[in-house]
Amino acid sequence: MAQPHPVPAPSDTALIAAWQAGDEQAAAELVRRHARPLARFLLGAGAPEADLDDLVQESFIRAFRSVDRFRGQCQFRTWLLTIGGNVVKDHGRRAGRRGRLIMPLDESVRDASGDPHEHAEAHEAEALLAAGLKQLPRLQREVFLLRAQQGLEYAEIAAALATTAGAARVHYHHAVRRLKEIVDE
Amino acid sequence: MSERFEELARELGARAAQRLDVEATAQKVVQRLREEPAARRRVWIPQTWLRIAAAIVIVVGGAVVASRLTPGRHPGVSAHAAHLVADDLSDLSADELRAVLTSFEALVAGDSVAVPESGTDLRELDAQQLRAVLRSLEG
Repeated sequence: MAQPHPVPAPSDTALIAAWQAGDEQAAAELVRRHARPLARFLLGAGAPEADLDDLVQESFIRAFRSVDRFRGQCQFRTWLLTIGGNVVKDHGRRAGRRGRLIMPLDESVRDASGDPHEHAEAHEAEALLAAGLKQLPRLQREVFLLRAQQGLEYAEIAAALATTAGAARVHYHHAVRRLKEIVDE
Repeated sequence: MSERFEELARELGARAAQRLDVEATAQKVVQRLREEPAARRRVWIPQTWLRIAAAIVIVVGGAVVASRLTPGRHPGVSAHAAHLVADDLSDLSADELRAVLTSFEALVAGDSVAVPESGTDLRELDAQQLRAVLRSLEG
């Protein structure tokens, strides 16, 4: 007996078109698909975990409000991540005005499950990387996260940041070199 | 070292992201999107009505001015004048539209229409000269 073919999941482009036609569930599906990678990117970019849910929401709201400007120059997720970078920057400004410090990865570093020694080492390295990322210029930090954390190709990063693949590669290598310097200090 | 950074970066924020309640976030986003278009519509309506009002005043004003300039002749000129004057309405901001409305009110109320010095009789003006007169009304 022939197995029924599974229905392929709609593409992001199809979901965006459905949302533009008024389908709220298409928007919800896009959030389900991309919320966690976006959350990881926001944390890497300096978002405090306490505000993570709000910042994820804000990134999606801004993306949906300006989706008419998305021309498919890169993947929807990549475009969303660059919007997330702006959201974190604005949040940092507001927090700065209120006198609050942004401490990335504050909660995840304190996760105490598993081998305490291994966790201590992993958390130390992760905290060191997070601290190093905070010291990078924004463009270098975002290129590093898009490449190393999200696994994107340079061409994709370049399309999202309106630069060239060569320039994105240079930013990435500068970021890695600077991170090494910070770790060695 | 570069590989180590990449490995660490892949794990960066993974545990915290895992704790995110994605379904709740999706519902909150949908809720906010549902509320936001209503707010946008409230802004849109006055802006649109303002444009429509400005267009009507300009069309009527243009027709009045054109009929004063060319009594009994060139029946198509009022529509043409309105077209010329209203040409870029969609590009105007609310403040600019208000300014247009104010200036047209003053223009239509008064007799301050600039007539080319060479024109002794408005009935003698050709289409190009009439356009020049109408353009001068645009300020």
